[in-house]
Amino acid sequence: METDILVIGGGPAGMSAAITADRAGARVILVDESFSLGGQLRQQTQHFAPLPGSEEKVRGTALGNDLIKKLEASKVKILKKHIMIGSYRNENIGVTDGEKTFAIQSQKNIIAPGAAEKAKIFPGWTIPGVMTAGAAQILINRERVLPGKNAVMLGSNDYSLEVARQLKACGVTIKAIVEDKEQMISSDMELLHDMKNVPVYLNSTIESATGKEELNKVVVKTPAGLYEMEADLICIANGFDPIIEPFEIMGCNLAYHKELGGWLPEYNVYFQTSNPSCYIAGNAAGITTIGPVLLTGEIAAIGALEELGFMEQEEAEAQRKELWKELAEIEKRENEKTFRARSELIEGFHQKIGMAFPEEFNMVNGGAHNG
Amino acid sequence: MQITEHPVLDKKFNEEVIFYFNNQSLKAKKGQTVAAALMANSIRKLGASRKLNKARGVFCANGRCTSCFVTINGLEHVLSCTTLVEEGMRVSSNESDPDVRGESNGN
Ligand SMILES: Cc1cc2nc3c(=O)[nH]c(=O)nc-3n(C[C@H](O)[C@H](O)[C@H](O)COP(=O)(O)OP(=O)(O)OC[C@H]3O[C@@H](n4cnc5c(N)ncnc54)[C@H](O)[C@@H]3O)c2cc1C
Ligand code: FES
Repeated sequence: METDILVIGGGPAGMSAAITADRAGARVILVDESFSLGGQLRQQTQHFAPLPGSEEKVRGTALGNDLIKKLEASKVKILKKHIMIGSYRNENIGVTDGEKTFAIQSQKNIIAPGAAEKAKIFPGWTIPGVMTAGAAQILINRERVLPGKNAVMLGSNDYSLEVARQLKACGVTIKAIVEDKEQMISSDMELLHDMKNVPVYLNSTIESATGKEELNKVVVKTPAGLYEMEADLICIANGFDPIIEPFEIMGCNLAYHKELGGWLPEYNVYFQTSNPSCYIAGNAAGITTIGPVLLTGEIAAIGALEELGFMEQEEAEAQRKELWKELAEIEKRENEKTFRARSELIEGFHQKIGMAFPEEFNMVNGGAHNG
Repeated sequence: MQITEHPVLDKKFNEEVIFYFNNQSLKAKKGQTVAAALMANSIRKLGASRKLNKARGVFCANGRCTSCFVTINGLEHVLSCTTLVEEGMRVSSNESDPDVRGESNGN
């Protein structure tokens, strides 16, 4: 199989990249390991703050469906249930559908595999009934099954409270929120209000989770002593790691940036990694919010389009400048530390390879360092 | 348990399927994964760890942690959270390492 641009991952970042590339006339193949497109938007029933170019709040699932519709109406060749598992010596990408494995020859790849939830380890963390917060969210919203009746939420950031709220709306009792810091991490008034009748244990950890074949008892260690409760579900919300395997396969250099989620590929202002054939987009390029996830997909696509001659330099620069401006605006507002870390990663990489900054980047980035 | 009335989303699954887990006949919805189909029947233990023989079930529901392995239609070590359930499917719990050197694998 042969194409101009190969996109790995059909989440919001990959879909946004594929739609942008298709619109400019490139031949695009999009590969996703799942049986349906949408990535992690498929279970996000919460509303997002208005996206770039819009004034309305939008539900995650609705945004996902909207992107899928656009993608399906385009000329992009979509391969669901296909996993990128390796690369050949000539850099063709190896993809499998579980039965046969074949090569895709592409001029540029945009890799957007997203992020994975971090585990948290305590005695009994492997018992059925202990799962990530995202797993519980997938089960209720994608799969329409209840993962348990009485839940303990480990972690108190916006994400944990959002999942707790969604579980509660499905009839699950939230027995406790356990947080090892001295105060709740979330400061979202609406979420905190929804959780106001739930016992919160601060400076606390899970001492043990027990049950013969399934979870039925949780012991929480608090400054006031041990509390034992009956629960058949523990949801772990411990943050996300960028998924890096596809970049490792392609020999991309990695760097460590705590604020971006940990280890991730280095990239330049075009979202191009140290392997010039591979661009990066979405949460794999640093854990952020949905606006920047979509914008990174567009910026990466424009870089690839420009290099392949599908877009004039001047046009690419103009579009990139607008997109970077929006990205900087949203990320500085929603997650200042993430934007700083992203700028640091990009600057570090440019310095290392002796690559000059385009003017558009200096303009948007200036504030992050002087401010 | 199945969620029949979702608080915000429209009904998604209509068709029912019958499948088997450790030879027991069970009902689920077409479009659900095997892991969810089992959870709908209140089955959360999907196998046992190979060394300490401890119960294992869904952990990430997203194809990343490999905690949810089962055997499907004779094929061992299939991720139940990323495989859709099908009519007549025969699923059994994962109790040990697959015999990769067995005859069925050609060596
Ligand atoms: C379980 C879970 C729940 C989440 N919930 C929230 C939330 O409520 N709010 C929030 O702000 N963020 C949440 N996130 C973070 C999430 O990363 C972002 O919301 C957003 O979906 C990121 O978009 P993306 O396109 O970068 O990645 P994703 O949406 O994750 O899309 C990546 C896609 O790539 C595919 N893929 C990965 N590797 C391969 C491969 N090797 N071959 C082929 N395809 C591959 C995956 O199947 C997936 O469809 C969640 C993440 C997870 C894992
Ligand atoms: S539950 Fe993690 S891979 Fe299936």
